[in-house]
Amino acid sequence: MTQPRTDTLEQALAQNRFEWWDSLQELGRELKRDKPGLIGVILITSLVLMAVFAPFIAPHDPAAQDLTARLAPPVWYDKGTWNHILGTDHLGRDVLSRTIHGARVSLWVGAAVVLVAGGFGVVMGLMAGYLGGRTDAFIMRWIDTQVAFPGLLLALIILAVIGPSLFTVVVVLALNGWMVYGRMTRSAVLSIRESPYVEAAEVVGCRWPRILFRHILPNLTSPLLTLAILEFARIVLAEAALSFLGLGIQPPATSWGLDVAMGKNYMFMAWWLVTIPGCAIAVTVLAINLVASWLRLISDPQEREKQYARHMAGVMRKNLHAVLEKEKEPEAP
Amino acid sequence: MGRFLYRRLIHGLVVILGVTVIVFVVTRMVGDPVQVMLPLESTPEQRAAFEQKLGLDRPIHIQFVEFMGNMARLDFGESLWQKRPAMDIVFEKLPMTILLTAVGIGFACVMAIPLGIIAALRPGGVVDRVTVFGSLLGLSVPQFWLGLLFIVVFAVQFKILPTSGTGTPSHILLPALTMGLPTLARLVMLVRSSMIDELNRQYVKTSFAKGLPFVRVVGLHALRNAGLPIMTLVGWEVIRSLAGYSVVVETVFAWPGIGLTAIQAIEREDLILIQAIVFTAAVCVVLINIAMDFLYKLIDPRLKLT
Amino acid sequence: MNKWRGLFLAAVWIGIFLTGSAWAACEKVTIALGSEPTTLDPQIREDGGERAVNDNIYDTVLTRTPEGDLIPHLAAQMPELVAPDTWEVTLRPGIFFHNGEPMNADAVVYSIHRVIDPDFNSEQISFFSTIKEARATGELTLHVITNGPDPILPSRLYWLKVVPPVHSKDPKFAEKPVGTGPYRFVAWQRGQYIDLERNENYWGDGPQISSVRYRFIEEPGTRLAGLMAGEFDLITNLLPEFTSHVPRSVNVLGLEHPIIILNADSGITKDLRVRQALNYAVNKMALANGLFEGYAQVAQGQLLSPSFFGYNDEVTAYPYDPDQAKKLIEEAGVKGQTIELIGTSGRWLKDRDMVEAVAGYWEQAGLKVDVRIFEFNEYLNRLFDRKTRADAIFVVSSNELLDADKSFSAYYKAGGVGASNTDQTLASLIDAARSETDEQKRESLYHQAVQRAYDQAYFVWLLNIEDIYGMSQRLEWPGRVDARLLIQEMTCR
Repeated sequence: MTQPRTDTLEQALAQNRFEWWDSLQELGRELKRDKPGLIGVILITSLVLMAVFAPFIAPHDPAAQDLTARLAPPVWYDKGTWNHILGTDHLGRDVLSRTIHGARVSLWVGAAVVLVAGGFGVVMGLMAGYLGGRTDAFIMRWIDTQVAFPGLLLALIILAVIGPSLFTVVVVLALNGWMVYGRMTRSAVLSIRESPYVEAAEVVGCRWPRILFRHILPNLTSPLLTLAILEFARIVLAEAALSFLGLGIQPPATSWGLDVAMGKNYMFMAWWLVTIPGCAIAVTVLAINLVASWLRLISDPQEREKQYARHMAGVMRKNLHAVLEKEKEPEAP
Repeated sequence: MGRFLYRRLIHGLVVILGVTVIVFVVTRMVGDPVQVMLPLESTPEQRAAFEQKLGLDRPIHIQFVEFMGNMARLDFGESLWQKRPAMDIVFEKLPMTILLTAVGIGFACVMAIPLGIIAALRPGGVVDRVTVFGSLLGLSVPQFWLGLLFIVVFAVQFKILPTSGTGTPSHILLPALTMGLPTLARLVMLVRSSMIDELNRQYVKTSFAKGLPFVRVVGLHALRNAGLPIMTLVGWEVIRSLAGYSVVVETVFAWPGIGLTAIQAIEREDLILIQAIVFTAAVCVVLINIAMDFLYKLIDPRLKLT
Repeated sequence: MNKWRGLFLAAVWIGIFLTGSAWAACEKVTIALGSEPTTLDPQIREDGGERAVNDNIYDTVLTRTPEGDLIPHLAAQMPELVAPDTWEVTLRPGIFFHNGEPMNADAVVYSIHRVIDPDFNSEQISFFSTIKEARATGELTLHVITNGPDPILPSRLYWLKVVPPVHSKDPKFAEKPVGTGPYRFVAWQRGQYIDLERNENYWGDGPQISSVRYRFIEEPGTRLAGLMAGEFDLITNLLPEFTSHVPRSVNVLGLEHPIIILNADSGITKDLRVRQALNYAVNKMALANGLFEGYAQVAQGQLLSPSFFGYNDEVTAYPYDPDQAKKLIEEAGVKGQTIELIGTSGRWLKDRDMVEAVAGYWEQAGLKVDVRIFEFNEYLNRLFDRKTRADAIFVVSSNELLDADKSFSAYYKAGGVGASNTDQTLASLIDAARSETDEQKRESLYHQAVQRAYDQAYFVWLLNIEDIYGMSQRLEWPGRVDARLLIQEMTCR
């Protein structure tokens, strides 16, 4: 995103709005060029759709037990049936339905934590960066201190004490992860603060909350978005790990990590119980990571230049190679 | 320098104090360790006596003052579960976690640097793409799942490595591999991108032009200049592992380290052992942070320590 | 021709070598336990890991056959009652501790005093709480004096591990145990293993297996992986589903009884018809087969296994009769009302699954069931709450004394920690049995108590769970009802 070099506020805003639509179209074009990114976006979209429409897609209630059909194998085995395409677990619950519903928990926790932690962190970062002085010193000390906490250990203890649930998992993970947004926002604010359009806004007499949220924050969107997506991937893994350890999502709710934990006792006779939710986690996180790395490429002008240079260098090297090979050829016996 | 050390130490103390106070408050909120400790059929009188013995019947502020006093002497009291000094248990388990972390992250470093360099030599080439995709995959696979997979494949199917526990050098291979893989993925990405930057610098090109051998240029100059971010990441990974992320690997492989002990202590509501573990973890994190700052200074003397 | 002979000889030698090494390997077995001992002092903790190891290092005064009958062990004969509160114990001669200390009346007296000393603060005190003192009356005879008559003293002596008077004062005693048992302690690498070796001077039948290594693995899946990978010869608590997948398995009726405590004093369960209906409604056989793959027996309407003292074999389980249940519910006029069922998750094998299955059956009988699964601590708050008893609480009772007294005092007797009735008739039966030294009279009192609780349907008796052990191909062991892992009873094939 280019920085608007206009003197009046209105123009700046108008231009900003215009660029949004433009960049969205640009994004689509970029996506076509970057195959892994495209795959990532498609995967994520389908995961989100799957999560949203889980009750309609899933063939069974994920919590419905059927003790007579325990540990049924997937359909491609002799004993498998179409009724349970991916088999059943030790309580006769349908693995496919559980996996589909598990997407809900993973994505929900990921989104909620990113929103809560991101929101809090950004507000803190904006305040620190913009207000400066004692506020800045205080917030940064706080962040420094909390960063040096043994985070996961504390999270485990807190969860064990207050009782693990969807809500507490979100709170604990958010408490653990807001600092990175705070630091990033603060440093970005410090660099943007001095720019002409912020100064202009100050001259016009905007109050600081307005300046922060209307003028500074929009310029932070793209780095924050990349960070949020990377954090999202981390949170999905963290939720899975907590649930695996028994301190995350509790039954009868479903979660991929929980399913792996329950399935591991049956890992030798029912490999699908561990493999399928495990793959679901891996695919989700991989998709998010693909999108994040693609976003980072396109949102960072330096990276884009490098990418282009690399591409050109590759082409030239190939040509050079071809020339050299040709030169070599006569010498070869 | 003295001022820097002083400030870092003060900050470290604040961190440790903060962590222990949080844990103290949180664990005292646990309904009642007494209930869990005694057999189901115990009488109320037996419970009351046990509570009194632990000093849990006194007002919380008195408990707190005593707790701080004891902590200053590194004495957290006897573990409720193991009935021996909590710090003894911690000192017994900590080396196992350090060993696991060292081997796991060491393995990651040894693998990551050549892999990253090879990938950086031809950005966009086949090797590079495979490396990048492999790294992304490594970052995406949950560790606990990977560990289970390793057990099934290497220990149960091929029977070439033990499933769990410790004892021989072969016992450490699977847990260390599981622990090191995400680190390896992150490191490879970092080495690759910083090497791409360095290799495009003028001095590298000049060095090559002067006819200096490849290993010398890349290994000595480029790598050294890329050293700072790499070291930061490695330090961060070590901190992560000691700050609780070893829990997952240790649980899967029954590795008797501090993480497994932490989970066991949490399950048994052994608040004394929990406090000792968290305190130790916080101290480790603080110490590593300070050590890292000194290392920075060692690598790049121009750096100002504030 | 010569060539063939050479080959043949070689084959024979290789064969001898292979069988020899296989035999030698079987000398050493590895056992995976669920938890590491916290100490190896046999008298201080109530700790399954410690017990599993020390049962082989120490001998008890009495022991049980694999079927559960009490027999003399260090004692030469069963203890005799010489006064209402005094038992005379006569010991076997010529037994020594591993370090050479003699095992005699003084050692037993010392061990008893050690464990009942209030300052020692043993967690095992509930096993010995009735013992007042012990007195040596000769080199090999002693008197054990109880607070009032205590008919189950022999069962208590089955818990008394005899420790060496001199060595047990060593501060390192808890790390270097010395007993009279068939195995002696070799090494303990904390967090990793404990090694024992055969006591070549054992006074009893010498065991076959020469050395044992214990490993500690909390996760059942990881234990199983170790067994499948051939690292372990015996693992405890095998899941029922795996019996057909492991090399070998053995199952024994265990000490654990899942039951549901019904509130007989208030709420809808105050009505006897409702309590009976709740019993009729549950298909216990289906629970045993569905959840435990048949590795559980239907509890016969009592909180006792057939091997326990006090078991009444005339009482049988309430049959599964959903129509009768529906009828009784309607008669009591509580159809469609809500019953609260409290349980916990992950504490006992399939605890949650059982609670949910039972809730399903009760719903079929025409009630609404409010299943409340609490985290263990919160669950205990409910279980121990004496003021407001929940309608129904799921609990798994375990009775290591194999005597009705322990289970009945806790769950049957009014005022017991888990009791939800105020039946004075039942309470007086249990009290009377507690001080009755005549074995037959005592047994008949328990039979009456069993019958009374059954008629009043104070509980829904569910199952008696079997212990399942996974074993390697080469190990042979029949299992024991008291779940003790005695290596001397194991052999190699």
